[in-house]
Amino acid sequence: MKPNAMIELNKVSKHYDGTIAVDSVDLSIKQGDFCVLVGTSGCGKSTTLRMINRLISHTKGQIMIEGQEIMSFDPQSLRRRIGYAIQNTGLFPHWDVARNIGTVPKLLGWPKHKIQARIEELLELLNLPYSSFAHKYPSELSGGQAQRVGVARALAGDPDILLMDEPFGALDPITRESLQQELLRIQQQIHKTIVFVTHDMDEALKLANHIVVMDQGRIVQQATPYELLLNPANSFVSQLLGGEDRGLKQAGLMHVADFMKTNRTMTPSDHQLAQIKPDDSLRLALSVMLWHQQEQLIVMDDNHCVGEISLQQIIQAKPYADHHG
Amino acid sequence: MFRLGIDKVMFVLTTASLLSLILLDFVSLQPNRILPGTGHSIVSSVGWGYALLIILPLLFNLFLSFSFRKASSIQRYSFQLLMLILVFLFMPMLLAIFATQHISETQIHARTGLGSAFWVLLFLTSLSLIELKQKLNLSRLKICFLIILITFSWLFFYITAQLDTLAIVREYTARSVQFQQAFRVHLYLVCAAVMSSIVLSTLLVMLMRRHHVFEKAIFPLLNFIQTIPSLALFGLLIAPLGYLAANSEWLQSINVGGIGWAPAMIALIAYSLLPMVRNTYVALNEVDASVIDAAKGMGMSPLEVFLQVRLPLAMPIILEGIRITTIQAIGLTAVAALIGAGGLGNFIFQGLGQAAMDMVLLGALPILFMALMADLFFSTLMSLFSHQDKTSRESQ
Repeated sequence: MKPNAMIELNKVSKHYDGTIAVDSVDLSIKQGDFCVLVGTSGCGKSTTLRMINRLISHTKGQIMIEGQEIMSFDPQSLRRRIGYAIQNTGLFPHWDVARNIGTVPKLLGWPKHKIQARIEELLELLNLPYSSFAHKYPSELSGGQAQRVGVARALAGDPDILLMDEPFGALDPITRESLQQELLRIQQQIHKTIVFVTHDMDEALKLANHIVVMDQGRIVQQATPYELLLNPANSFVSQLLGGEDRGLKQAGLMHVADFMKTNRTMTPSDHQLAQIKPDDSLRLALSVMLWHQQEQLIVMDDNHCVGEISLQQIIQAKPYADHHG
Repeated sequence: MFRLGIDKVMFVLTTASLLSLILLDFVSLQPNRILPGTGHSIVSSVGWGYALLIILPLLFNLFLSFSFRKASSIQRYSFQLLMLILVFLFMPMLLAIFATQHISETQIHARTGLGSAFWVLLFLTSLSLIELKQKLNLSRLKICFLIILITFSWLFFYITAQLDTLAIVREYTARSVQFQQAFRVHLYLVCAAVMSSIVLSTLLVMLMRRHHVFEKAIFPLLNFIQTIPSLALFGLLIAPLGYLAANSEWLQSINVGGIGWAPAMIALIAYSLLPMVRNTYVALNEVDASVIDAAKGMGMSPLEVFLQVRLPLAMPIILEGIRITTIQAIGLTAVAALIGAGGLGNFIFQGLGQAAMDMVLLGALPILFMALMADLFFSTLMSLFSHQDKTSRESQ
């Protein structure tokens, strides 16, 4: 067993009378990892996730959390230390937002003032002002707001592990995009171990530092997003990666700042060139070039020029092997 | 732009009320219980002066159902509501005035029968009230207040003995002891039947949730019972219960027999089970699976999931089942009078036998009142549980 593995699955299987949903899965997730299980529907990714908090009991193998077999815990106390967020939010419609978020702290028997403080802290973290949201009911929230509350509720008991089962699956693309950004921002602040299930490879590439591709109950490949893009294990993985679209997906993971030519001062002719920010992706830079029909862009950071990037530099960009998080 | 809008519902209701007052008898003067009375229109009964107390507010409402300019409709509806309340308050007063004008103290058998215009007016103004309640979005509390206000105006005229000549009051005074007794019996039967059904259906639902095979047996049985006509079921129970009672002293000692409270209670419970079991079972099963999944995933124990999530979310539909059952039991208990169970049905069937309509009313009106109160009680209780409904209503 690896020393700093937060979650460890050893030859874990799940059989449902005759059919095999998950087949001998080995998986090790480190403390602070953002691990995304990705695959088509029915591939066993959700089942794998739900076995970790014992919502589904595994048939064979071992699941360890911090080195302890999960069957040695009482299921309720196990679940109370693992955050859980799901696609349809599962918010309790008869409780207001504050009470929904306070669910796990209350189950854990926290004192009232501590629960209250935690609710305020989490609403602030999720950009939901306490005064206008705490006493709303789930039916009064938009899809995005409801899912923010769902994430806040999952974090409420300050768990080390966060399980998320397609949490953004039902949202429109714009809301999904902003919630993904927010989740990355939050993860940088709180460093939880996150296990995230999705069928959307773009989402996986964007969020994960550890992608696990599953098919028919087995793990097909696990790698960092870059490795996955560079060396897909088989045609199934490259198909999931979008085939010929891979180039763009890869460019979407690389930042302008890492490839631009720096030490450049503005010249009067630069005003005709389109601009881009250093933390934008190469994919966006390419799109801006196509749109403006220019082979060169000015990189601007807070209204002053920090460099330039050319089509040539984008095409020759070599993905950094181990980065992103 | 000048545009003549018209509130069709209020216009029709008010016009019909006015027409009924003009064309139909408001009250009738009966020399005694049996002889048919002589009808009086509202004007001939109390004279124009008093008749205007009701006619004027109605005319005003008719006028208000046209909107001439963009006056606030809330104001218009509030005025209409005020006028309706006046109509309701003046109705007992007119009856009292009619009595003092037409019946002297010596005519101890003479009585005021309520004419068709009175009932039509009562019906139409109640409809208008419901219409305005929806338009003004009145809260339940305000409705309760209105009902209490109107009830008090009737009570005031009753207690001050001004309604003593009213036929239904005459019937009541002649049988006040029996009435109170019957009312109590009726209430007890309904409460006991509903309570036992709640306990029984809870047990049945628990059984069905534990073992799904029972579902296949219980629902067809309950459905079958529901198809038996109530009178037939009462009749069917006479023989077996009579036999049991004849062979058991204990049963005799608690007054169980082929007729009386026992068969009534059994039949009432049997009819109550289907709506209650069905609503409870369906409500508990239909709770959103993702909510239950989340509750489990948060680490709630099975009991916590049930008590904190499943039950409260199912509560509005469970209460709806209890509401239907209670109202149904209130009505069925009237029929149970036929097998000697007592209750307000006694007056209905006696009245029918003696062709004394006022006596039928003495039984029927309290049953109606009881059903309305039960409805109000349970819908208030239901609204406490449904936050989703509350918010959707507010946003309308």
